[in-house]
Amino acid sequence: MMSNSKGWNIITEWLAQKGQQPFAFQEEAWEHLLHGRSGLVNAPTGFGKTFSLFLGALIEWIDAHPTTYQQQQNNGLQLIWITPLRALAKDIGRAMEEVIAELNISWKVGIRSGDTSTQTRKAQQVQMPEVLIITPESMHILLSQKGYPKYFKHLRTVVCDEWHELLGSKRGVMVELALSRLRTLSPGLRTWGISATIGNLDEAMQVLLGPGNTDGMIVKADLHKQIELHSIIPPEIEKYPWAGHMGLKLLHQAIPIIEESRTTLLFTNTRMMAEMWYQEILRLYPEFAGLIALHHGSIDAELRMWVEEALHNGVLKLVVCTSSLDLGVDFRPVDTVIQVGSPKGVARFLQRAGRSGHSPNEVSKIWFLPTHALELVEAAALKTAMKEEVVESRQPVMLAWDVLLQYLVTLGVSDGFDPAIAFDEVKSTFCFQDIEHDEWLWILSFLTTGGEALYQYDEFKKLEITEEGLYACLSRKISMRHRLHIGTIVSDAMLKVKFMTGGYIGVIEEGFISRLSPGDFFTLSGRRLEYVMIKDMTVLVRKAGPGKSIVPSWNGGRVPLSANLGHMLRAKFNEASKAAKSKDIEIKSLSPLFELQNFLSYIPREDELLIENIYTKDGHHLFVYPFEGRLVHEVMAALLAYRISQLTPITFSIAMNDYGFELLSDQPIPLTQENAHQLLGMENLMIDLQTSVNATEMAKRKFRDIAVIAGLIFQGFPGKHKANRHLQSSSSLLFNVFKDYDPQNLLLRQAFNEAFFYQMEEARLREALERISHSKIILTTPTKLTPFCFPIKVDSLRETLTSEKLADRIKRMTLE
Amino acid sequence: MGETYFSYKDQKWCLSAQRAIYWEDEKALLIADLHCGKSAHFRREGIAVPANLVQEDLFRLQRLITQFSPSQLIIVGDMFHSTYNNDVEYFNTWRHQFPHIQVHLVNGNHDIMPTDVYVRLGIQQHDHLNIRNIHFSHDPALHAAGEAQYVMSGHVHPGVTMYGAGKQALRLPCFYFGEEYALLPAFSAFTGLYSIKPAKDEPLFVLADGEVIRMQ
Repeated sequence: MMSNSKGWNIITEWLAQKGQQPFAFQEEAWEHLLHGRSGLVNAPTGFGKTFSLFLGALIEWIDAHPTTYQQQQNNGLQLIWITPLRALAKDIGRAMEEVIAELNISWKVGIRSGDTSTQTRKAQQVQMPEVLIITPESMHILLSQKGYPKYFKHLRTVVCDEWHELLGSKRGVMVELALSRLRTLSPGLRTWGISATIGNLDEAMQVLLGPGNTDGMIVKADLHKQIELHSIIPPEIEKYPWAGHMGLKLLHQAIPIIEESRTTLLFTNTRMMAEMWYQEILRLYPEFAGLIALHHGSIDAELRMWVEEALHNGVLKLVVCTSSLDLGVDFRPVDTVIQVGSPKGVARFLQRAGRSGHSPNEVSKIWFLPTHALELVEAAALKTAMKEEVVESRQPVMLAWDVLLQYLVTLGVSDGFDPAIAFDEVKSTFCFQDIEHDEWLWILSFLTTGGEALYQYDEFKKLEITEEGLYACLSRKISMRHRLHIGTIVSDAMLKVKFMTGGYIGVIEEGFISRLSPGDFFTLSGRRLEYVMIKDMTVLVRKAGPGKSIVPSWNGGRVPLSANLGHMLRAKFNEASKAAKSKDIEIKSLSPLFELQNFLSYIPREDELLIENIYTKDGHHLFVYPFEGRLVHEVMAALLAYRISQLTPITFSIAMNDYGFELLSDQPIPLTQENAHQLLGMENLMIDLQTSVNATEMAKRKFRDIAVIAGLIFQGFPGKHKANRHLQSSSSLLFNVFKDYDPQNLLLRQAFNEAFFYQMEEARLREALERISHSKIILTTPTKLTPFCFPIKVDSLRETLTSEKLADRIKRMTLE
Repeated sequence: MGETYFSYKDQKWCLSAQRAIYWEDEKALLIADLHCGKSAHFRREGIAVPANLVQEDLFRLQRLITQFSPSQLIIVGDMFHSTYNNDVEYFNTWRHQFPHIQVHLVNGNHDIMPTDVYVRLGIQQHDHLNIRNIHFSHDPALHAAGEAQYVMSGHVHPGVTMYGAGKQALRLPCFYFGEEYALLPAFSAFTGLYSIKPAKDEPLFVLADGEVIRMQ
């Protein structure tokens, strides 16, 4: 067996010298790797998942070169390690280098990410290190270099770390496409993923290995981490806000927890919340100055690195952070985690909880701090979900035409591609396994003629067909622009923020700054700043004393509730009617609120759907509570609004949260006990969905990312703002133009598909409607706003649905 | 329904929902921000916007010409989007249908082609154009109007947000007639909107579904 091989013995002896012995799952992974198999390792952080594959690769190297394994240098790329986070690369690289040094192997470990200097990249291209740690984006940039196949001649293994993070995103599709290319270039290549626990591990592996691979292995670490969840419960629940998202009122209850812990991570869901929490803590507890830090994606990378270092050393008492610290290496001193507001999913909550207490036998402690009263129900739901081990699945992205277009141009700017080979490779990926030949032809024509070969005046240029029949990009300008735009993370234009006197603070979204006037105050990196002016893509500011300021709200803060948590939540609300006797302290403490809800309206059981019809000075409100999560509610609201609008000309404004949704109109809403079931029924579902105007609005929002990824929106070269203004356009303008003049465009279809299948989660919607059709509908008409409806009503992000003629609507509108 | 007559600053304007004004007393059709060649410019740089956008815009202009039979067409700036490209050639062909119509261009910031191109296309260029008491200037901020003159401009691509009961909101292109200057909506369909906030008593017309609707 392999386990007697020289390499195996050297590695186990090396571990033994350090007083360690391999975990069973590590040996299992080595075994598979040595047999040339591919697969997926499922292990929690902190248990040596890196070593399960890296040491396997070393064993193989030693076995293949038993006498010269220490001497042989410059062996070419052996192992590619794909990581979703730049920040992770450094620590993984350090760990690998230590092993190599102690074993006296002459391998080199290189990192290639957006942070890597041009000099290092050039050196790598002259002589590739044996191990390359790389982000999906940098992987594609490598594929855009002339003569790239030579780098992969000796490649044996690709490992995709934190695969659960990439799966389900377009970055995952980038990995799939890159792997399809590498498998042609290095036959016999093994692909391994490392993933935390998710609901669909088998599918996760299939996506990584491609649908053609049927003998992948899943290696599971049978190691369980103990997690303790506590809720911070407001002393007087009656007085705790019904709506809100900051939770600062409970700050004084969080302080003792922080004081009693060694180091605490306080997670918020948005960067804005993190800024507010940081400031409030310093304002009310100045003694924390110097012991507390802020960490989120908009903060200067150097400062973030300092915070991470300080976390390692244990000099910080508290770090206020966002998902920026969800992933990554473990900070040993951290023994407590506080989650402010709902984490919206079981998996994310587990991940954050896992940031405390790392040693295999230590207990992870996490505190839940509600931002409004009803959120406590989510804590109770999370507890049950954790006990029953229900973890969400990540749905892989299918037929992402935007990513495919970008990838083909990438191949076009390097060596060009043969369409027959490219088609086979693309079709071998999970994402594009169902691609039709017609669609492929459209893609090719979109790249060569811009989709309109027949227009005689056309000057479209992107890819051209060479004499050898390769599709290649011959324009230097377009090539250069393309290389700068490789990637699928679309963000608002970000501006640097600097002091007038120099000194970099961080970055901020252009959209936020455009709403400020010089002299306004805003908060960034925990500092209060006075906005002076914008110059050369940089926001210049002055330091300001204490006082009021505007806190930037970054986009992307609204994560929807997962289906699993939604299900648990409904079950918990089912207990609400007898809350005073509940086993869950969270539910029990909410009983005064539930009594009020019951007095004003009703508390629905699991087999009931509550609808509240309330009149206020804003108009007629209809509140519906399916407890299915924001995304499903958005679609259900649009559907119900559309169907009601078929009964009578009416205009709605729509709002929703994870518990329910609201239709608001200036006219009475004709929903009755008699027609309610039909209005929420399954009949004509697809047709009604597609006809409802909001499908277009949703698709338009999806089109924004698609247009950028597919290269339709040129974001300008970094630092050169003005030079390309003749090429600027907005995605909504492009969307309208395509819809009116090129409705068959595949990217437009993708936008609608994304809206329907990912955003709308059609399957989940059907399930919910199915459930409603068997539920009893309770229609109440409370005389004032209820605890349930209040958080929805105050939501300011709204959409409109109408069946009235535009001109008729305008005649009732005003300019203020 | 597609037009509304409106008398202002001693002149009678016919506002068309097709983003143009017909000035009957001068037999002049007024438009702004045609941005001809914008789609070709994008396509030449590898950005595949539909190629027929210029044809659609010019076809709409053609129908306006057939409807009003003007003797002159006044374009208040940004007639062409960028440097010379094939859309400009398409305009040339289109232009030959109307040899009798004078085309006046009030130069905008996008009008950067060499003079001889405009001459060949039969376009008379002006930095500003004065007819009766009206002073045409592409950018309202850069006008050179005398005291008794009223400024008509483009450049801004004006749009306005309207609000209704039940928290409704809607943004549409508009004609704006302020005390100092008027703004024409951008003619090309391939242009975005910039929100303006008119004062309470300033006349404003929004364009919606083929109708011109006066808001104030």
